[in-house]
Amino acid sequence: MKFGVFFELSVAKPWHARSEFEVYHNALEQIEAADRLGFDQAWAVEHHFLEEYSHCSAPEVFLAAAAARTQRIRLGHGVMMVLPPFNHPARCAERAAALDIISNGRLEFGTGRSATWTELGGFRCEPDLTKEMWDEAVHAIPKMWTQDMFSWQGKYFSMPPRNIIPKPVQKPHPPLWVAVSSPETAIQAAERGIGCLGVSIGTPKEYEQRVKDYRRVVKSCEPVGEFVNDQVNGVTFLYVDETDEEARLWGSKLVYAFSHLAAHLVGISSVYPSPAYTAPGLLFAIRRETEKAVSPTPAGTPEEAPGGGGIIREGMAVGSPETVIKQIKLWEEIGVDRMVFIINTGEEIPQARVLRSLRLFAEHVLPAFDKGAARTKPAAAKGRLAEPAMP
Amino acid sequence: MPDYGRLTLDQLPYTLPAVSPLYPPPPWPLPGARILKLVFETDKEAVLRWLPPALSRSSPPYAIITVAYYPESPVGPFSLATQYIGCRARFFVRGFALQAIVDSDRAMAALREVWGIPCKLGRVSLTVGPRTVAARVACGPNVLARLRMTRGERMDAGLTRFDPIISVRLTPGIEAGKRHALVEMVQIDPGYEVHEAYRGKGEVAYPSASEGEPWHLLPSLNVISATYAVCDTDLPLARFVMPY
Repeated sequence: MKFGVFFELSVAKPWHARSEFEVYHNALEQIEAADRLGFDQAWAVEHHFLEEYSHCSAPEVFLAAAAARTQRIRLGHGVMMVLPPFNHPARCAERAAALDIISNGRLEFGTGRSATWTELGGFRCEPDLTKEMWDEAVHAIPKMWTQDMFSWQGKYFSMPPRNIIPKPVQKPHPPLWVAVSSPETAIQAAERGIGCLGVSIGTPKEYEQRVKDYRRVVKSCEPVGEFVNDQVNGVTFLYVDETDEEARLWGSKLVYAFSHLAAHLVGISSVYPSPAYTAPGLLFAIRRETEKAVSPTPAGTPEEAPGGGGIIREGMAVGSPETVIKQIKLWEEIGVDRMVFIINTGEEIPQARVLRSLRLFAEHVLPAFDKGAARTKPAAAKGRLAEPAMP
Repeated sequence: MPDYGRLTLDQLPYTLPAVSPLYPPPPWPLPGARILKLVFETDKEAVLRWLPPALSRSSPPYAIITVAYYPESPVGPFSLATQYIGCRARFFVRGFALQAIVDSDRAMAALREVWGIPCKLGRVSLTVGPRTVAARVACGPNVLARLRMTRGERMDAGLTRFDPIISVRLTPGIEAGKRHALVEMVQIDPGYEVHEAYRGKGEVAYPSASEGEPWHLLPSLNVISATYAVCDTDLPLARFVMPY
């Protein structure tokens, strides 16, 4: 099992002149700490126009700054919007390669297509077509990294022969991922030999079938890249403190704040009926459970959320080190290779506490997991030998 | 000993007049409904001006207009056009009923008194043609809204979405110094069994900037979607009642 940290760069209101500055620089300090403490990855989203929820619209800049401050930790686009109306695929390939060079081969390349009207409408991007656009881009980008002369005649973009430079340091190219929030996308990731980057915050039980389906399908994939990345990455919240009571107090604030900000996004399925977006709304499960946990039932008694009581659900890494180990073991049991953690939202938790939580995790939780057993190398596919990512 | 009346509270009907109540209690089945729904981005300040403090706006702010024809109801056929603010009730997506026009006086009374739908009496028409559905909402001499869905294509009925409604039930006060005898928010979750659904290109226009029925307060800045559905629906009991 490997571990990472995940950044939305949420900036809660009321805003002041330095709000975004503080969030960005606190996050960079957290990545530096994570690098020192033995976390394996730091991921940053790409979102646009999502007030409060995410002010991370130029993740390549943020991750480049993180690369300059760190030595070892891998840096992930979690995810880059690869749809032409957002980013021309050639620009995606160029920026990713440059980041791979700056970081000396530490890039994980996550891809996605957005699930909000706020973003898709903002770029006049037709929701029905995003899956096809994403598919075309993930087939093209690895070729851009590996061919001296790349040309493309596709449905959503085309270009004459050009050498798309620079090329990534990692050969043949950085590992590919896709944001997965539905069972269908997990299958589509597996069919293409792309890593499954979980972005819906569910419980291990909710992920279990998805992981099984992914593992089954990826064995017979047609990889879009030069090698198969067959890893599954789960996501949940992290807050470790000395006692469960203290941890749940702060962890609840984190979960509540995240859920509240997520609720104010305009998910595609809530305003635009599209066969490309059939999930019941953005981050629906966590909002539903959080609402249950904080709302009185008609009888006037608090309703318990399943799997842990209150706002903290099963699988959330919130608690004392012993509790967090138990919760992460649940993820390990269902076959997740990596867990990435949301460690703050809207600066709800003071920076000193976030850094202490990371330190407690590193000192007391990390040793309980055998990192040697982790799936560190990409698997071979179609007779091609996979090349490992750079250490 | 005087002779007292015998209309005790337990004998008082659901609504007045006691001798012949204007409408029956919920739930009201509404089979065979035809509903045009337009969703559009709108003005942030207008949204905040008209949302109760317990509700919050989305980003971007949006509004919804539904125009429905109900061929069968406990008070007979009626048409209802409702303008909603797309909002959030803590963690969830809701439509806050801001104003409505209905073409039946019995339906208007019930919608206002029971469900808190802020109706006025007017004229509502829904015209269904090949690949086009058009609606007109009028009150007195003013055409308040014209809506159109063009280039309609059939879609999976399961993709149709109608968010739960939040409205304000308000009974004006009659005691000195007491503006409201009752003011509460209710959440109404009608059920929908959709038989046919279409999606097309939407247009929203407010021909009259009426001061009395100011539908233009929520301008259409960017149409998001236009759908039309044939469905069986209902007006149920409130799911939640909340303080204002």
